[in-house]
Amino acid sequence: MRKLLVAVAAAALALTACGSGGTGSGDGNVTITFWDNNGGPGRTPIYEELIKRFEAANPNIKVEYVGIPSASVQQKYDTAIAGGETPDVGGVTTSYLSNLVGQEALIPLDDRINSGPLKDKLLPSLVETVRQTAPDGKLYSVPTSGNMDIIWYRTDLFQQAGLEPPKTWDEFTTAATKLTDAAANKYGYTIRGGAGSVFQLITEAYAYSGVDNFFKDGKSTLNDKANAELVDKVADLYKKATPEADINNSYTQMVAQFTGGSVTMMHHNLGSSGDVNKALGDKVAAIPLPVGPGGKRTVVPNPTDGFAVFKNSENPDAAWKFAEFLASSESNSYWNEKVGQIPANTDVRSAAWIDGNKPVKMALGVLEDPSTVIVPAPVYLPQYSSITKTDSEPQYQKVLLGELTAQQFLDEMAKKLTEAQKEWEDRK
Amino acid sequence: MTETLIRPPVDTPPPPRQPTKRRRRAVAEEPGKRWLIHVPLVLYLLFTLIPFYWMLVFAVRPTGSTQLVPWPVTFEHFDTVWNDIGFGIFFYNSVVMGLGVLVFVTVLSVMGGYALARFKFRGQRLFLLAMLCSQFIPGAMMLIPLFVIFKGMGLLNTLTGLIVAEVAFQLPLSLILMSGFIRNISVELEEAAMVDGCSRLRAFFAVVLPQLKPALVAVGSFAFIGAWNNFLFALMFATRQDKFTLPVGLSYALGEFNTDFGALAAGGVVAAVPVVLVFAVVQRFLVQGLSAGAVKG
Repeated sequence: MRKLLVAVAAAALALTACGSGGTGSGDGNVTITFWDNNGGPGRTPIYEELIKRFEAANPNIKVEYVGIPSASVQQKYDTAIAGGETPDVGGVTTSYLSNLVGQEALIPLDDRINSGPLKDKLLPSLVETVRQTAPDGKLYSVPTSGNMDIIWYRTDLFQQAGLEPPKTWDEFTTAATKLTDAAANKYGYTIRGGAGSVFQLITEAYAYSGVDNFFKDGKSTLNDKANAELVDKVADLYKKATPEADINNSYTQMVAQFTGGSVTMMHHNLGSSGDVNKALGDKVAAIPLPVGPGGKRTVVPNPTDGFAVFKNSENPDAAWKFAEFLASSESNSYWNEKVGQIPANTDVRSAAWIDGNKPVKMALGVLEDPSTVIVPAPVYLPQYSSITKTDSEPQYQKVLLGELTAQQFLDEMAKKLTEAQKEWEDRK
Repeated sequence: MTETLIRPPVDTPPPPRQPTKRRRRAVAEEPGKRWLIHVPLVLYLLFTLIPFYWMLVFAVRPTGSTQLVPWPVTFEHFDTVWNDIGFGIFFYNSVVMGLGVLVFVTVLSVMGGYALARFKFRGQRLFLLAMLCSQFIPGAMMLIPLFVIFKGMGLLNTLTGLIVAEVAFQLPLSLILMSGFIRNISVELEEAAMVDGCSRLRAFFAVVLPQLKPALVAVGSFAFIGAWNNFLFALMFATRQDKFTLPVGLSYALGEFNTDFGALAAGGVVAAVPVVLVFAVVQRFLVQGLSAGAVKG
């Protein structure tokens, strides 16, 4: 039956022939394909503008834009790699970069970066997070945007209550409790208890504990006593200062609660800037995650966005030219201004819009502060996502419900991470 | 001659069971007890329709609004969906693919279903079993092999490729359904036509096909809707923006950091309306067709 089908299809192909153009290059003109890893109405127009500018500056290179829905982008890349149909340039984040590097699909970009205008122009903390995802320590993507976990809070409600934005976790829990009036459906905080919960929890824990390395002597520091203390503090807030439904919150529900006005503080990242600002305007501001009793600022960085050049590209030079263009100060400034994220190009630091965008300015300040310690999560571990998401998210819900202690929960996760890290070291 | 005449009546249905029927009618006719039927029906209707209403509300009210009755309505989300996301081209692709799948699945399943219903051949049971088993294979598993084959055949980035993949996955079930329908049509009618001088083909067209109408509608609409909703193949077998279909377009509204509920709902309306319309027109046939096949096939 399949054979018959194929024959029929072949006939149909001849009839309906939807011309599938190649990337042919006859007269020095080349076409490169670019995959946007988070395609959609928010970002596609920005790329269209940048591509227009690039094509005007490079008339012999044509860029074909393909927007991939962010939820399917890993699968799309994996299929494309297996089938040998990869794009020339692709948007990648460090959360799956190691997976692409492992399949030997990308070319290292160190030499190209260092021999061009981008040399020494990229924010070192972001470069470092990209470098860490590859076992050989090379740069397989040119970082363009950083993101950071922050607390969004309602300035108007804080003012009404006569409260200052919290700097430490103790101030934070006090404020969250004070701002809660469950009878009026007003809550001080919202916990992310569903999809993506544990990643946020880890950033909170390290911000509190000040532990400055994810692994010590090959052992995960995640189950450090201070980290467990923080988990307990957060779990204590559940139902007291947060809605009960929070146990299933992914970011969409959190953002909806926050922008809908029933919640005063929300821990998310710069990615929600657009939605938050649109709904709340000048009634909202951002602060870094509160610090612990030690007062030390430690940041577990968010995945870093960047662009990779694929090995299969027939025109790697043109592909790199485009990636370099996207990372150049002008494009980088335009892009990050529009999406409200941290520009990787240090020349953008002086751009006028940064002064107007307080959350980004605040985040940049934290990243550039010499006393800030960056604690990158081991996203390079192949099991990282399954350990912190699939295995641990349901366990965290048990902690919130009081069915599991914070220490047990972290011990379990730390054990798995230690094993995964050992495997990784052995393979290196 | 006499032999054909004294054939036992095969298809006479058993006499209906009177008592149950009478009781059921009693409930419906006694005015005081009508609510026993109506209340559950209304509840069920609400249960089905409220999500649709919700979608409509989100589609026509401005972002950030929490009104339950959206007034005044805004069409900005439809504008986003149609112009910024590019639903125009996705819609066209979906229609072409859906119709292609519908035609191929229906025609092929009639042909194959007829063979399964009317002929005995070696390996028939095995063939049916294989068809059934093929339903256990998830599309995601066949993704990479199909991708490689399609690449070799130049079917990537074509609607034809999508149609081929979709037809291949939908055909087994349609085939089984269709053979059930055909088995349900008396052979005697065909034999009578052949006695009157029809060839088998002519007999098929003159006698069987007209009776298959409900079956064609049922199988055809299933095929269309299956193709209309398929996300995985549509995303994976196309690497060009202008070859994606509606489900891919819809998923654009769900970003990594933000979800555009307005665009999602408006896109949902655009994607659902044709299906709802098609169903509204064909549902008469559909109910009849499905039960006819299910009971006796």
